[in-house]
Amino acid sequence: MKNQLCSRRHFLSSSAFSLSTVAMPWLLKQDGLLAAEGKALPKPIDQPTSFDLLPKQPPKPPQAKSMISMFMLGGPSQIDLFDPKPELYKWHGKNFPGDIKFDNAAQASREIMAPLWKFKAHGQCGMELSELVPHLGSIADEITLIRSMHTGVNNHLPSNYAMNTGQHRSGRAVLGSWLLNALGSESQELPAYVALTDPRGLPLIGGENWSNGPLPSIFQGTLVRPRTPRIFNLDAPRHLRGEAQRAQLKLLNDLNQKHLDEHPGENDLEARMASYGLAARMQSAAKEAFDISGESKYTRTMYGIDQDVTRDYGTRCLIARRLVERGVRFVQILCNGQVWDHHGSIKTALPQRCAEIDQPAAALVKDLKQRGLLDSTLVHWGGEMGRLPVIQFREGLDKRDKVGRDHNTYGFSMWVAGGGMKKGYVHGQTDEFSHYAVDGIVHHYDWLATVLHQFGLNHRELAFRSGPREFKLVEQPEARVVRELLA
Amino acid sequence: MICFGRPSLLVILMMFIGRGLAEGGNAGDSETRLLTYERDVRPIFKAMCFHCHGEDDIRKGGLDLRLVRLMQKGGESGAALESGNPPRSLIWERIESDDMPDGEKKLTPEEKKIIHQWISQGAQTARPEPENVEDARYTLEELDHWAFQPIQKPTIPWINDREFGNPIDAFVARSLLESGLSFSPVADKRTLIRRLSFDLRGLPPSREEVQSFLQDERDDAWDRLVTQFLSSPHFGERWGRHWLDTAGYAESDGGALNDPARPYAWRYRDYVIQSFNQNKPIDRFFQEQLAGDEMVQGEVDIDNPEHETLLAATGFLQMAPDATRTSNTLMDRNNAVAETIKVFSSAMLGLTVGCAQCHDHKYDPIGIDDYYSLRAIFDPAFPLTQWRHHDARLIDLTPPDLASEIDRIEAKAKKMEDDIKARREAVALDIQEKKLADVPVEFQEILRQAVREPAKKRSDQQKQLLDDYPMVKPISTIIGLLVEYDAPSYRKFEKEFAEVAAVRATKPARKMILSTTEKPGFIPVSKVFFRGNPESPTAEVQPNELTALRLNGVESSILPDDPNYPTSGRRLAYSRHITNGSHPLTARVFVNRVWMHLMGRGIVTTPGDFGISGESPSHPELLDWLANDFMSHGWDLKRLVRLILNSHTYRQSSTRRSDLEKVDPENILYGRANLKRLDAESLRDSLLVAAGLLNPQLGGASLPVTENPEGKTVIGVRKIKDGLKAGVDSGQAAANRRSIYVQMQRNKPLNMLATFDLPRMTPNCEIRPKTTVATQSLWFMNDSQMVEWSEQMALTARNESEDPAIWVDDLYQRLFSVSPDPASKASCLAYLETQTNHFKADTDEKWREQLLKDPTLASRRALSTLCQTLVASNRFLYID
Repeated sequence: MKNQLCSRRHFLSSSAFSLSTVAMPWLLKQDGLLAAEGKALPKPIDQPTSFDLLPKQPPKPPQAKSMISMFMLGGPSQIDLFDPKPELYKWHGKNFPGDIKFDNAAQASREIMAPLWKFKAHGQCGMELSELVPHLGSIADEITLIRSMHTGVNNHLPSNYAMNTGQHRSGRAVLGSWLLNALGSESQELPAYVALTDPRGLPLIGGENWSNGPLPSIFQGTLVRPRTPRIFNLDAPRHLRGEAQRAQLKLLNDLNQKHLDEHPGENDLEARMASYGLAARMQSAAKEAFDISGESKYTRTMYGIDQDVTRDYGTRCLIARRLVERGVRFVQILCNGQVWDHHGSIKTALPQRCAEIDQPAAALVKDLKQRGLLDSTLVHWGGEMGRLPVIQFREGLDKRDKVGRDHNTYGFSMWVAGGGMKKGYVHGQTDEFSHYAVDGIVHHYDWLATVLHQFGLNHRELAFRSGPREFKLVEQPEARVVRELLA
Repeated sequence: MICFGRPSLLVILMMFIGRGLAEGGNAGDSETRLLTYERDVRPIFKAMCFHCHGEDDIRKGGLDLRLVRLMQKGGESGAALESGNPPRSLIWERIESDDMPDGEKKLTPEEKKIIHQWISQGAQTARPEPENVEDARYTLEELDHWAFQPIQKPTIPWINDREFGNPIDAFVARSLLESGLSFSPVADKRTLIRRLSFDLRGLPPSREEVQSFLQDERDDAWDRLVTQFLSSPHFGERWGRHWLDTAGYAESDGGALNDPARPYAWRYRDYVIQSFNQNKPIDRFFQEQLAGDEMVQGEVDIDNPEHETLLAATGFLQMAPDATRTSNTLMDRNNAVAETIKVFSSAMLGLTVGCAQCHDHKYDPIGIDDYYSLRAIFDPAFPLTQWRHHDARLIDLTPPDLASEIDRIEAKAKKMEDDIKARREAVALDIQEKKLADVPVEFQEILRQAVREPAKKRSDQQKQLLDDYPMVKPISTIIGLLVEYDAPSYRKFEKEFAEVAAVRATKPARKMILSTTEKPGFIPVSKVFFRGNPESPTAEVQPNELTALRLNGVESSILPDDPNYPTSGRRLAYSRHITNGSHPLTARVFVNRVWMHLMGRGIVTTPGDFGISGESPSHPELLDWLANDFMSHGWDLKRLVRLILNSHTYRQSSTRRSDLEKVDPENILYGRANLKRLDAESLRDSLLVAAGLLNPQLGGASLPVTENPEGKTVIGVRKIKDGLKAGVDSGQAAANRRSIYVQMQRNKPLNMLATFDLPRMTPNCEIRPKTTVATQSLWFMNDSQMVEWSEQMALTARNESEDPAIWVDDLYQRLFSVSPDPASKASCLAYLETQTNHFKADTDEKWREQLLKDPTLASRRALSTLCQTLVASNRFLYID
């Protein structure tokens, strides 16, 4: 607490000053009142005041250098896609025998619904996957499937925050921002962290998906537009292209340098000068990176860009590959709204969603592999939750063709590939009904700690001070690196 | 159920004793310091444990952590605390093993260390614990927080036995001296006028203003300049914008999906601008915004402009995001109220009261029942059971003669429209007949019947025939595709429709006021919502001031239903209460904002959070002196601004000095001025001034925004030609109005402003973020708007002379209020020459044609690219 006492030596009535009186602080100097040495400030400043995106070495040798996260907002049904439970067929139509955590009690039922699609073993490893994701089957030997995810906060927002920021409340920095803060970017010509959203709209929590939270804003994700032009103003007007603009930038730099000389120590001025340099380089680099017209027909077909249903997601997956190829640290491919949130009509809606995403996602892994990028790129596919084994009667008890499944954050699945993860491996399990993760549980904070580890970072040490507070991506003392996942 | 009575005498007495304790005890090594429960341990438990062990009548395992003796007593597992013996204390055991707290968030090693040390030292309390546990809800340590104490009247310090000219300087000088520092010298006059002009008007000074200030050698030249700028109508726009940030001004409902517009929200914006221009006393300004409707005496009178003002003021309480137009559930309504409470409390009280919506505030002594008692003041205006959405809150103050004029014009337009539609239908019928004539005669009549039959009623045979002869279409289809059937007629009709639109455009706007009112005689019962859920109401509460303030002696009497008013009178009573001169927060929070806008840094750097987790004031006495002075001079904003502007503190140079850098690099002590950066609106407005395009018209409906073909949000409306999107009509001169008049659609901010950190109102903005990103640079380099404005700047420069040296001088004066230094001037001139030659050599065909007609084009274009470069430079964006 600051000293509230004040000097009572003299009393000055408020009428004694006039508004136009000019202070005369130089009297202080005449009086020789200036102490030779200053005292320390009330609060020490130990946080650096300027930040950059230059590449930085992690404390330990990294397995992964970049990451692509395909985030499946809404909660894909692990029961129908990834986590086969033969028991469920026997229980189909009967009441769930144990304790269920519903989110929507009003339309809840205890009636068990067996998977609506068939499962089959894929690859050398024999990974069992649903017929809705045949392309994923074709890369079964490349991926690690985690069947025991757990956040334990049963709604989209908190669970989404948990998966992305480590905390189930809003306001924290997401994984990508932490990676930038720790590692910078290999590319100084492209945004270091790119968010690719769906043309149909922003994801549920909008900009919070790529928010820097309390970290400096330079570490926030760059939202590129969902359609061309992905970044505005990349093209100079015709008359400025080439030499004319170079001359402009040269003059600008000279003028700014002169101004900077008059303002020693003003970091912001230097940062803005540097941003013109980045902008000039981005004009060509970003245009080139986002332009897929030079990709071969083979590649385009592989990603499904030649078909309506997969065109958009395929294009974004292909752009993601082009970005990491060019040194971008973190790419997020996001769905609109919460499109995997199949409370109702799961029978028709889930196949539709899989059709859009299955082929492009598998193509991304194959393509990274054939280019030798998979080893250094951590690929993630998953949402913030899964779904319950019982029926939710969204449209009423009589509309059995329109039933769905309610939220389940206590046991759900996601898959990862590359970046030093095991290949053809299935980790963890849920109970016989696929409700609770029971074996090899991976909490959201374990997952985030594991990602940091793959980037050569220690989740206990990665921290940021903002004012009097210290923030970490992983604050849970029990968080652990899930070594069972690592190759 | 939670309730607690009036503060007991004991509590007040203990507070008095406690204050003495708190002052001595803050410093000291925590290793050896004697820790107390109240000061050291309880804040940790409160944030992490009370939720299950104390609050809301919840005592998991029977354990209550709110008092030390209750811990010693323990719960179902026996005593939880053994003083002096952590290993034998269940609390420590559970905390150390991270068994507790339950859930994902655990205590940090530092927090654990404190708890261990406290138990080891004998689990001391600061004072005997109260008998009733409810009296321990807030500790003296919390209640003693500086911002809850009455505003003091500090004596102005004398420096070296001498009285200082301006009291502000005296306070600042004392802190500087204590750190062995001194002021910086006064900045030069050119710097000062530019700084002042942006601070008071958000616009650069004109060349004439600069010249006359430079030539004015009178002693009071500065004060005269201040007077001049303070009386400019742009003052209201600039300072209104500051307040609109705080109020969360937006012209749409918010929400991820369609973000519907609020077409009349701008009347609140104009109310704010007018209030600042009239220098309305701020106490009155606050009262009007909270309770203008209750200040209207008698029936609302359309002819009384005062009534209009009072109702428009209450738009303040209608600014928050509100989804109820599209999704009107109890939860949505509750969210809208909660957001409104957040805006009001951070704006006027500087408190994060909203954090107590679901549980007691984790840091501040604000309980969940405090939250609902405060909210009860607003409940009669926002009853969840008799909800009114914005549209239902519009009050139509259109005068009768204006209304009949509107009806007359509409009738005329309708008549014209009907006539065009009739003729258009005749044309379509004609086309249909022509197509029928091409069909074999035997089918003509059947087809005629078929095509005129509603689609659903057609027989299979009719359908088949229409399939076979696809050129035969219904009238509606032909009208829809008229441009393809008969383009000349289509265009003729479109032209006529445009005339109708022009007639409609002459309709005067209805005077619709977005306002907050109460239904007389209806007062909803206010209840605490358990865990914030409106479907779980619990204890009833009455409207009241926050307990923490009442315990600190803030008197308030808000009647649940004031018989002197047809409405409840709650908001009116409360608005008078917080502006009565003895409230500890209102004036402090407001003067801090004024200081922040002028000095570039607040005395409290968290302007919306004066609570325990906010920052402490750097100059607490100065803050109190300013607040006091402000209130004792009638809450006069312009007087306060002038007082600050006349200080040496404000007028210092911004240059960093090495002695300051060593001690105070963040300039907390104001040993110099801060380098400031133009915010989004000032930047756009300055560019318009530079281009000679700024339209200074005050007030009125907002400039609409729309997406251009490229996908950028720009000012204007979509043009449609032949039924297709055909670019954007910017509305020319109107588009060049100040940025405060651009429509503030939450999900569709003007691209240029959004690029430069225009805040998103979710729900309001306390401090503008400042980013430096490549997209901003790309905007200056390549955006077509920027290029267009540069060309306009070049035109203005060329009007002066044909001599490039004069152009450069002129541009520097206009853009930066200084003369160019020789080196920069030489660079600019060399640039002009090179660039002129470059453009002369440009081989583009169209360009060559133009150049043949007018050879000066090359040098003109070079000049416009110079203008673009100058405004892109740091000298333009930053203010010394």
